[in-house]
Amino acid sequence: MSERHCKPSLLIIDDSAFDLKINHTIARHTKLFRQIFDFASAETALDFLADNIHNNDILPHLILLDIQMPDMDGFEFMEQFVKLPSTFRKKSYVVMLSSTDDLIDINRAESNMHVITLLKKPLKIQELTQLVARFFHNN
Amino acid sequence: MTVIKVLYLDDEENNLNSFKASFRRLYEIYTAGNASMAFDILNQTSVHVIISDQRMPDMTGVEFFKKVKTIHPDPIRILLTGYTDVETLADAINEGDVYRYITKPWNDLELNNSIRNAYEVYKTRVELREKVTELQKTNDELNRFIYSISHELRAPLASALGVISLARLENVYTPHQKGSEYWELIEECCNKLDYNITNTIQYYKNSRYESISETVDFQKLATRLIALHKLANKSGEKIKFDVSIEQNVPFTGDVFRIEVIIGNLISNAIKYQRPEESNKSIKINAKVTPLDAVITVADNGVGILNEHLGKIFSQFFKVRNQKGTGLGLFIVKEALAKINGKISVQSTFGLGTTFTIRIPNHHHNTLQ
Repeated sequence: MSERHCKPSLLIIDDSAFDLKINHTIARHTKLFRQIFDFASAETALDFLADNIHNNDILPHLILLDIQMPDMDGFEFMEQFVKLPSTFRKKSYVVMLSSTDDLIDINRAESNMHVITLLKKPLKIQELTQLVARFFHNN
Repeated sequence: MTVIKVLYLDDEENNLNSFKASFRRLYEIYTAGNASMAFDILNQTSVHVIISDQRMPDMTGVEFFKKVKTIHPDPIRILLTGYTDVETLADAINEGDVYRYITKPWNDLELNNSIRNAYEVYKTRVELREKVTELQKTNDELNRFIYSISHELRAPLASALGVISLARLENVYTPHQKGSEYWELIEECCNKLDYNITNTIQYYKNSRYESISETVDFQKLATRLIALHKLANKSGEKIKFDVSIEQNVPFTGDVFRIEVIIGNLISNAIKYQRPEESNKSIKINAKVTPLDAVITVADNGVGILNEHLGKIFSQFFKVRNQKGTGLGLFIVKEALAKINGKISVQSTFGLGTTFTIRIPNHHHNTLQ
């Protein structure tokens, strides 16, 4: 398998255009991702996923999901996400990203079986590379 | 002043009339000849004090009060009794059905005093309930406020830190270049503010959160906390961590507070290293027994002056020329107090510091 083919895609979901740009640039710097998609809301990200369920080009991928967003927050996104086919979800890894220190949010994120972990903002380059190493380069 | 509303229930018309005659100028009086009339009045008017005769044909006064208590718990109940049925009375008073009893024929002065006292009790109870509701509301608001503050304050700060790391990635500045230290200063300020916010919120949470018991795996906990604080402190990378955990029995305790305690100690151990030391090291030991867990966090850092040892756990105590809010160890102490833990410290100035904490194990509570 070519190295290029191993590289996962990255989806970033964040209502803050500022954070979207920062995290996008940090992720680009790691050179670990085949392509990076930005979404300013959970709804547009869900629409994108629904439209691309049969598109193997976006798999496997990592999703960086902000928690506090207007209209649909990160947890509401997850309620919809679990309805996607399990074959798709198997190659879709969700990491929550938040500036919150709130214990309730942390517990909620950690107890969600479809969320790998919760990272505290700002996104650190080492954390991102470690995640990719753990879930996409294990063979 | 509000007029005191009194309901009097008695099957004897004469008693009702003489009660009215005695108290009509003092109170707003409602009278009822039987229980169902009394309930009609109670359903329409909120009275403060209910007086009932004990001996009535359809039900006794105590029975009436038992029923009233479930539907209208607020009014204070006074029983009038012509004979001394001690046992019924004792039960009624002990179960809280009756606030006071008065023997018949009543003495106007005594009854009047009882009504006044009963009204005071009524007023106090209602006020107390209003206060509790008010406090609950304030509490909820405060919780929401803290939640949003923790987010609103941290979010822009996290973004700023993100930008700084981007600037480094994109080589906007390089070390040794003129002005490069400005970036590092900004980063340091942001980190400091972030630390202060986190600490303040931790302190607040510690004073309010109920204790939640969960099983604790100290090996995992230590590994996670070390990784976290290494990331948060730039100097953390150069320090050798030596972790030795002896846990053969399950441990149950308040994970949130234990994390706060050990996390603060690790953070301090990283922060107060001596810059010139070439073998910076932090040792973390834990020994878990069915009784308790003893954890030590030892560093070979700057150490603490003897005259400072007594003050390190007080709020806002800071050593000159050191960073910090003076909150860290204060939070540790407060959190330990909540979970009945103990802390001790040994330190030699210039050589290092060892903190030892002892936290009770609540697993199964087999020891009771």
